Amino acid sequence: MDLELSDEQVWLEESINTLLVRRWPAAEAAWQAGDAERMRLWESLVEFGLLAGAGSDLGAIELCLVARAVGGHLAAVPLLGSVAVRYALAPFAGELPDGLAALLSSDSRLSIGLLEPGGGWSTADTRARVQSDRLTGTKAAVEHATAVDHLAVVALVDGEPGLALVRSGSPGVELTPQSALDGTVPLSRVAFADAEVEAAVEPGLAEKILERLVSVAGLLAAAEATGAAAGIFEQARAYAAERRQFGRTIGSNQALRHLMADLHVRQASAWSTTLYAAAALDDGIPGARLTASVAKAYVARAAREVAHGAMQVFGGIAFTEEHPAHRFLRRIILREQQFGDAAHHERELGRILAAGAIKEGVAA
Amino acid sequence: MQLTETASERALADEVRTFLSGEGLRSPELPRELDERMVVLRRWQAACHAAGYVGRAWPAEFGGGGRPPVEQIVVDQELAAAGAPEFVNIVGLDVLGPSLLRFGNDEQRRRYIPPILSAEEIWCQGFSEPEAGSDLASLRTRAVPDGDRFVINGQKTWVSWGQYAKFCGLLARTDDSVARHRGISMLIVDMSSPGVEVRPMTQITGHAEFSELFLDDVVVPRENLLGELGDGWKIAMYTLGHERGTAALPRQVKLRTWLDRAVSVAARRELGGRPVLEDPEAQTALARALIEIEVLRHHAYRTVGEFLSGGAVGPESSSVKLLMAEAEQRLAATVLEVLGPTLLDGDPDEVPENDFWYETYLYSRAASVYGGTRQIQRDIIADRILALPKE
Repeated sequence: MDLELSDEQVWLEESINTLLVRRWPAAEAAWQAGDAERMRLWESLVEFGLLAGAGSDLGAIELCLVARAVGGHLAAVPLLGSVAVRYALAPFAGELPDGLAALLSSDSRLSIGLLEPGGGWSTADTRARVQSDRLTGTKAAVEHATAVDHLAVVALVDGEPGLALVRSGSPGVELTPQSALDGTVPLSRVAFADAEVEAAVEPGLAEKILERLVSVAGLLAAAEATGAAAGIFEQARAYAAERRQFGRTIGSNQALRHLMADLHVRQASAWSTTLYAAAALDDGIPGARLTASVAKAYVARAAREVAHGAMQVFGGIAFTEEHPAHRFLRRIILREQQFGDAAHHERELGRILAAGAIKEGVAA
Repeated sequence: MQLTETASERALADEVRTFLSGEGLRSPELPRELDERMVVLRRWQAACHAAGYVGRAWPAEFGGGGRPPVEQIVVDQELAAAGAPEFVNIVGLDVLGPSLLRFGNDEQRRRYIPPILSAEEIWCQGFSEPEAGSDLASLRTRAVPDGDRFVINGQKTWVSWGQYAKFCGLLARTDDSVARHRGISMLIVDMSSPGVEVRPMTQITGHAEFSELFLDDVVVPRENLLGELGDGWKIAMYTLGHERGTAALPRQVKLRTWLDRAVSVAARRELGGRPVLEDPEAQTALARALIEIEVLRHHAYRTVGEFLSGGAVGPESSSVKLLMAEAEQRLAATVLEVLGPTLLDGDPDEVPENDFWYETYLYSRAASVYGGTRQIQRDIIADRILALPKE
């Protein structure tokens, strides 16, 4: 019963941060990064072994450490889907169809297609379907869709939610850019019209894989939001210790001291719950899915609260386009919205609580 | 990182559960009358101590179990899960015992620690004063050195279990000539000494669990000084941090049992012909309470991990304290809102259940005040974690 990072995990975190400092612009300038910078960072991350390790050497804890660093630097590469899908598939490698098993040893960039127009984040809302190895349906808010090699699409197979792998540029796959709050993470609506499915996970196995996929994707989004929240909070803290008004540093005012203490509690506890849920997922603890829901719901509110509070500390300057505060806020909101926001997970947990399904600890 | 219990932790948890279900050792139903309740509670702590569940990590030579600290946490969580009452010598166990172990000499530890564990001698703490609440360092109670003794005059307040205590760990000013934090010492006061007067105060819950304490020329032998002269502030800060750092894990278990109880009450009570629990808004409200309890648990694990691996209880314990108060207050208020009109419908069979929730709600209001107010915790975080400039 302890949540301390191992020496290897600390080393991983430091290495990724160093890599991001060297291979990615400072957070302030990250929004200007073009395809060349993205490619440079992506290749470094692949070289580091993130794709090869996801789900084997690198558990959800390690991947969340990476995601938190990515959020702190406002990096924008198709990492979330690429590692989440591998993490979800890896334990079942022996049972996967060839096309999906091959994915695990490839460098393919991946995005997840889950949300559908008019639907929610539950896999039960799925209407897209696979018939005779062809996918039909529409997915929304697919990130980095133009930059990835494959789309991992949640779709009905024999009437039950399954997972279908589709090559991004293949015939019958039509991408329409969507407006997005965080322009550095482009979102697309993707329409599939009899698109060729390279491989699909059948129901049964798919249930386990999808549960793991949705849990880890939510945790990676939460970890990234936590990193972004810590990033803006640290800048606000430093600003409050220097900025002077009324002849004193503003950070000496009790109103701001107490606000920032509360923000500290939010971001520290947000990271604790993310880490705990990641560990529960890695350990295969019963109820790990519910713990992931707890973490996602909490971080969704907490990260936004931290960003709002930090912006209040900055005052008017944080309302300018030039100031990085809004870049952090945009990333935080994006990650809040994906894979279920607080309201989604609270409804879900409330339903389960009512059904008496979690009489004992969510994940003891 | 280690989430699941080790085999030995699981074995211990099973052992505690077996103990708790044993004939005659079942967690007691508490009489409402305070004197009777004390008798039951002392017997309960003594039984738990005899079984090795009190002071399990304290040194064996002073009556403790000499086991790793994590074992006490396992035990406390099992006790809380079973709805066992808090140990009656809580002040001795959480506050003054750890101070005696850390700052006391061997003679003091031999004399005072064993009866703290067995609840033979109840302890209280004399910290706050009417004019020194959050600003504890401004305390005015004076202990004047006089040869081989001190003579104490002053007044203390919020003295939990004061009317039952055998000893009081008292903070008093022993030196006016130095900075105010440095002039405070910690003294062990025998509550039966001449000049000690205890006046119980009734809390908003209707119970009189704390007292005012008046000290009029109370004589305390020099050997009852804990640590060195002027160490009082240091000792008090250590003990308060200790209390904050370790109380959260059993507390979150208790909150979880309350949440489960609320869910079952909401399932059997009806509003408009439907179980209260079928209302999606009620479900969401209870889910939010669950989330806060879970996050408290996760954050406490992370901070306690540092403590268990030998580190001191650091300022991050203030975050835990804030989350603990938030979770408790959210839960209590949520239950009142969820049960809503069912609390008022006058069903005589439901009176004890309703009283439980009213008392839980009222008691929850103290959670952001005792052991350092919410505002004091924020100040600690602002100073010691965020290093913000002081006012």
